[in-house]
Amino acid sequence: MSTEQMIQTEQLTRHFKDHVAVDNISLTIERGEVFGFLGPNGSGKTTTIAMLLGLIKPTSGRARIMGHDVQENPVAALSHVGAMIESPAFYPYLSGYNNLRILARADGLPASRIDAVLEMVELQKAARDRFQTYSQGMKQRLAIAAALLREPEIIILDEPTNGLDPAGMVEIRSLIRQLVNEGHTIFLSSHLLYEVEQTCHRVAILKEGRILAEGAVDALLHRGRGVQVRVTGDVQKAIEVLQAVPWIESVKQEADLLLIDVASDQAPQINALLTQAGILVAEIRAREETLETFFLEVTGGS
Amino acid sequence: MFNLLQAEWIKLSRRPMAHILLAIFLVLLLLSLILYYVVIGFHEGTLTGGLGTITFLDEAQIQQYRQQLQFPGIYGAVFNQINASGGILAIVLAAGAMGSEYGWGTLRVQLARQPRRGRFLIAKVLVLLLVVLIAMAIALVLGTIAAIIFGFFIGEIGSLTLGQLLLLPVSMLQALLVMLPYVMVTMAMSIMGRSVLAGMAGGVIFLLLDVSLGALSFLAEMGGPFIFLYNLLIQQNINALVVANSSYYGLDTAAISPFNLELLPHPLQAAVVVLVYSGLFFGYAYFWFVRHDIFGAA
Repeated sequence: MSTEQMIQTEQLTRHFKDHVAVDNISLTIERGEVFGFLGPNGSGKTTTIAMLLGLIKPTSGRARIMGHDVQENPVAALSHVGAMIESPAFYPYLSGYNNLRILARADGLPASRIDAVLEMVELQKAARDRFQTYSQGMKQRLAIAAALLREPEIIILDEPTNGLDPAGMVEIRSLIRQLVNEGHTIFLSSHLLYEVEQTCHRVAILKEGRILAEGAVDALLHRGRGVQVRVTGDVQKAIEVLQAVPWIESVKQEADLLLIDVASDQAPQINALLTQAGILVAEIRAREETLETFFLEVTGGS
Repeated sequence: MFNLLQAEWIKLSRRPMAHILLAIFLVLLLLSLILYYVVIGFHEGTLTGGLGTITFLDEAQIQQYRQQLQFPGIYGAVFNQINASGGILAIVLAAGAMGSEYGWGTLRVQLARQPRRGRFLIAKVLVLLLVVLIAMAIALVLGTIAAIIFGFFIGEIGSLTLGQLLLLPVSMLQALLVMLPYVMVTMAMSIMGRSVLAGMAGGVIFLLLDVSLGALSFLAEMGGPFIFLYNLLIQQNINALVVANSSYYGLDTAAISPFNLELLPHPLQAAVVVLVYSGLFFGYAYFWFVRHDIFGAA
């Protein structure tokens, strides 16, 4: 992965009268990354995306796409971007094909490109049906097709799996992976944490317009680190035994579990230590924090 | 720009609302011509079933209605209808074309791809005016057919000179000019209110306000600088263009018009004043459209 900065925001801020919708957001997304943008409803995700796309002007700060300032040079900045914003928005009286035709015409793209993206999202059969007759899943897929129409280097997807059934979600995830393999950079806003955990390299968690946490998914979830143990008998004694070991960073009790901060592959040694101290181990395994638990921890349960 | 025009054309030409409004307009046009025929029939006793003549109009007025059912007066009748009911329908179409982009949320999709908002708005206005011109052309075709049919019933088709035929495109542009300020106000209000309803309400309120300002006609009667001021009002100039369009096709507007024709400004001045008003309204729409935030669906 090269380190070319595809999207960059510097202290991006937007006020709506007294309400601060987005507060000093600074982000950098590099080429080929899948970046997850997480947050509860009303946390400022869509406002941030709207500022990235030049639809809303920032109160202060700036957004750059491939080095071009979105406010100062929107044409250059947005020419490499395909976006799906909020719910799919198309002309209800036109077919899916004609809706894409409008976008293709405006961009000066050939009709063959419409067929190509319809095939990518598997919507060829319903292409001539009116948009208003589409199911939610079909609407989502048409919106993704529209985002892909101009073969963008950067794809911004705002809640792309909203309203999709589980099979539809799997399809969209695999489509995103395919796009990443093709070298696209993807900015994915979602509140479906499993989807983001499965798909994204890095995430930022937003609440009330501020970034609360940002980083690589593996690092944030401490993957490969942590062991959890359930013991029978004297839990306090078990804690004392473990705390006396120099290579154990910390031991925390959470209900009937002991959470031990060590590399996950050191679980056998911990088992041996406790057994030698006469403490019976009922369960021991590598601790795997999910993005969901991390998100709830960071956002305070929103 | 041509690409944007094509895109706008796909949107508007395939929109059921545009087809419905055209159908309504053509029906209204046909009904008005039938009404003229009935008035003539009652006046001449051909439709009274042997009860003799029934009339509330004088001979000069009946002659005008007769002329509106034959060549070339039929075109005067068509343009009168275009500037009466056609104006209101154009307001509805303009509000739909602009306001729906907000309501459906399609505007954010379009502008995220085409950030040159001014171009987008210009393309939308140009295609809207083109659609109105096409609707006028269809109405003229219907008028031609109607003149042949009614001419058969009233026993006189009339005739058309080459000069009058060549005047048709000029009259179309003149009729378009009459609608232009209302269309522009409607666009501006749709943008400000971010909805179809705001546009429609704004356009209709402006239309009513403008017509009621005609009550200031006492200013014109006072003469001197007052007549100059009165002639800067939009309605007075629009009346001048409407009357001019009727007179091109042999209609004696003094016989059927409620206006004091002597007080109307020259058509050229009227065209300039209406263009200036339209330009101001468009500038207002442009200013808001380029500057304001584009949110999600209303």
